[in-house]
Amino acid sequence: MNTEQLIAHGRARFDHAAARRVLKEKYQGKLTFAHAGGMWLAGPELLATLAACTGPTSVLLDLYETPVKIMPNEFRDLVRTHWQEQMNAWLVEYDQLSKNR
Amino acid sequence: MTTGALIFAYNNEQTDYVAMADWTAKNIRRHLGIPVALVTDRPTELKFEQVIIQPADGDNGRWFGDYGTNVKWHNQTRANAYKLTPWSQTLVLDADYVVASDQLKTVLASPQEFLAHRWAYDITGLNDFSGLNYFGAYHMPMWWATVMMFRCSEHAQLIFETMVMIRDNWTHYRNIYKNSNGTYRNDHALSIALGVVNGHILKHASIPWNLASLTPDHQLTQLAPDHYRIDFVNSDQKPRWIELHNQDFHAMGKKTLGEIVANPC
Repeated sequence: MNTEQLIAHGRARFDHAAARRVLKEKYQGKLTFAHAGGMWLAGPELLATLAACTGPTSVLLDLYETPVKIMPNEFRDLVRTHWQEQMNAWLVEYDQLSKNR
Repeated sequence: MTTGALIFAYNNEQTDYVAMADWTAKNIRRHLGIPVALVTDRPTELKFEQVIIQPADGDNGRWFGDYGTNVKWHNQTRANAYKLTPWSQTLVLDADYVVASDQLKTVLASPQEFLAHRWAYDITGLNDFSGLNYFGAYHMPMWWATVMMFRCSEHAQLIFETMVMIRDNWTHYRNIYKNSNGTYRNDHALSIALGVVNGHILKHASIPWNLASLTPDHQLTQLAPDHYRIDFVNSDQKPRWIELHNQDFHAMGKKTLGEIVANPC
């Protein structure tokens, strides 16, 4: 290892981290969706909350801290599908990014 | 209920904002499937679902780094959006907001009466936007007027009427908030108006993702429809680039966007 190699490596890592951050910002938006009069972020946290809902209907707080009545089974499928669609798209772009690097 | 977009576009000696609005309107129709109304000061042959003629209001001067000069900036009619819109649900967009995805459909599906972005960030990561996400000596939080969604409602009406009041008494409000920037900005007027209308709680419903922004010092090129490349120089003066696919962003540099509008892919 020499100093130039170390600097070049550090810069490349910095650029890669910047591109990863832009991707994260992009998918933060794409994981957001509206349902039943509320706004939601699809992801493990919401799915875990839905797993705790056992009745035919439940009331959850949406992103605007508004209580919204939902049907857990139907909503869980919707969240899971949306989450995985967007995560797959994120992976495709991430792999492309890694190739470019 | 009618849903549509509203774009304000007043040409100046440097930028053809109406052509930019036409290009943006095509992107809006393609991705969001909604009609577009244009607010401008003279008739145009370009195709919009509605053209609303409204005289240019005020002659702000503003430094545009990409042109390297001060240019006239007609930005003061935007506060009249509520009064002018032909739609019952309106998406107000800057002419230089690049719609490259259907992301804003989520905003249109939101039950909120008014939404705007609270946070913007620099796509290249080079510029710290903390100076732009706040304003004035008291470090007041700033909401961006670049993208605003509102429904016809008392709440939205009050927000825009308060913006008009602030605009018409700008020196007064500028002094209250100790805003060193003398030029009227819709972002500042909106932020103050939201504070007044919501009882100064400083927490307002906002678009739940951040506004991707490209500052004028970077070069923007279009590689394909909805595919852009940004070339910039990092702090070591090394050339770098980043690509954006199907991602909306705010192109703050009018010059490079104007070149894309003139020669689209």
